[in-house]
Amino acid sequence: MLRTVKPRNARSKRALEAREAKEVEDVRTAIFVKGTHTGEILNGVMKELMALKRPDAISFSKKNTVHPFEDASSLEFWAGKNDASMFLVGQSTKKRPAGLIIARTFDSRLLDMCELGVDNFVSMAEFKTPKSTPGHKPMMHFASELFDTHPRFIQVKSLLMDFFNGEVIDSICLPGLEHVISVSIAPAPSLQTANPILGDSQEEDVKNLPKIHIRTYTVKLLPSGTRVPRVELTEMGPFLDLSLRRHQAADPEMWKAAMRRPKLKKQDLEKGLGKKKKNLEVDEMGDLRGRVHIAKQDLNKLQTRKMKGLKGMPVEQDGSSEESEQEDDPRQKKRKRD
Amino acid sequence: MDVSNILASHAAKFQSVTVEKETPLDVDTGFLTVTDLTPIDEDSYKSNLEEYLQVTARDGIQALVAALYGLPTQPSPDGPLAQLPPPTTQLPRAKPLPKPKPPTKWERFAAAKGIQKRVREKKVWDEERQEWVNRWGRDGKNKEKEEQWIHEVKADAPVDHDPVKAARDVRTSRVAKNERQRLQNHARAQTATGGRDERKKDIERTLATTRISTASMGRFDKKLDGEKKLRGVKRKFEATETSVEQEKQASLAVLSKLDGDVKRVRKEKGAGDDVLNVRKAIRNVSKGRGGVALAREANKKGARGKRGGKR
Repeated sequence: MLRTVKPRNARSKRALEAREAKEVEDVRTAIFVKGTHTGEILNGVMKELMALKRPDAISFSKKNTVHPFEDASSLEFWAGKNDASMFLVGQSTKKRPAGLIIARTFDSRLLDMCELGVDNFVSMAEFKTPKSTPGHKPMMHFASELFDTHPRFIQVKSLLMDFFNGEVIDSICLPGLEHVISVSIAPAPSLQTANPILGDSQEEDVKNLPKIHIRTYTVKLLPSGTRVPRVELTEMGPFLDLSLRRHQAADPEMWKAAMRRPKLKKQDLEKGLGKKKKNLEVDEMGDLRGRVHIAKQDLNKLQTRKMKGLKGMPVEQDGSSEESEQEDDPRQKKRKRD
Repeated sequence: MDVSNILASHAAKFQSVTVEKETPLDVDTGFLTVTDLTPIDEDSYKSNLEEYLQVTARDGIQALVAALYGLPTQPSPDGPLAQLPPPTTQLPRAKPLPKPKPPTKWERFAAAKGIQKRVREKKVWDEERQEWVNRWGRDGKNKEKEEQWIHEVKADAPVDHDPVKAARDVRTSRVAKNERQRLQNHARAQTATGGRDERKKDIERTLATTRISTASMGRFDKKLDGEKKLRGVKRKFEATETSVEQEKQASLAVLSKLDGDVKRVRKEKGAGDDVLNVRKAIRNVSKGRGGVALAREANKKGARGKRGGKR
């Protein structure tokens, strides 16, 4: 499909090597595509999400006839060409107004996707509050027990986490935590965990599934008496009310291949990443402190003869010991002669 | 001394930063995520949606911030840097895991000997010029010997000893050796991973090229046992009797090829072909710049001579 490019100079070679697979991956680049017809709401939603996702976002300017649920080949081609692995396709039809499809790829092939319908959208511009700096990592908050139990919501949580916060980083500057994206689900009393027996009732389930609310707040850290500051939230940013529509779950084999982790190297094991390290704690100053446990010593069995410090005053005892030694020696010598 | 009110005030301070929930919050500091598993309270949801959402979010984020501030930190000019642990939630990868590359010959030797890899700086201090110069690349110090304007030559050196060429040969031979070793490493890595078919095709292609790289294009060489017959270009002979039209076309084609070709014209210019190799002579005299440059120089000198130099 895509012809393999042979690097002709050092710069293109470096660019090609940057696209290769790494053990610890970079953040997923997202492509924002518009379908044949997108309304005003969808345009606004995609613009705002791109602002939150910058700089790892590519926006296609032209409208493309793309139907991901029927044919995913165009998505795969774009993923390979642009070295991107997330897609946000906006399409508004009569049957499915204001539909947003979030899709993920693995190895340039479609992994899974979910269609969400935008019911209510309030853009960033309508909130006259200070916004967070673009490019900062957001904190995420998911509020509902369904995110752990219902498979569709697990998929949605995984997709949103990957979209906003997918990069693994070593350290973060604490004053730089500026905004929060909070995802919550409306209460639905009729819904329990999905019953696999009634496979046909998927249509009903889709309508019964509760709505998702996405809210974005800026964080203000107020000084409290302790080291941990008090958190105050102010509204900012896009407000989205979404309802779940169709979805495509991942092929289990591809999912297994995508979830493979690299083997823990020896240094990581020594650092204690493989298991929880005991006897370590962080004190108030933020330093790492360790505890050393020594066994109880039996003082009766202490070898005091080998401890020079316990020998006491040097002068008198030396003289007496010398005399005693001198006395001893001739006695010994006498014995030897005998 | 009554310490109870001091303790009470201390506890009160902590109250503002602690969060109490029925189910403990699932905090993933690696991804800066907190999941609140308490079921949604329907009444407060219906009464005031936004406020309820904001309150739950605030509680969740308070717990997350408390966890983040509990991590070991390093000071930095922008503020304390918290060292994040690896994340607990598993997200799928975008690309498959890279296959481990087998170590090269040098890497194996270095690992056995315990040699640490040291990256050299690109700039090196030049005592003569008292400045930092590139070790390689543009105006690099590695080309110093070639670019010198004067060379010391030993007394017993042969007449046509070119010190510039000698220095350049040393450098190019080193480059060629490095390239050869890199290809050998690549081949060894391929065999280790098992790319046998590719290598077999590569070797067959190289063998085919070498077989026709003789003076007679491989036609009269002895064939070894096991060598496959080479696919050569088949000569197509026309039939003995062709129509008049075809003969006319063929002759006209030959004529058109004979005249009007610039390359042919240039070749015909060189008159004394048997004694002197004109092309080589021009190259030698012009020092590689070519006949046009020579002509330009000649014209310039002539023009200057006519005018009589600077006025």
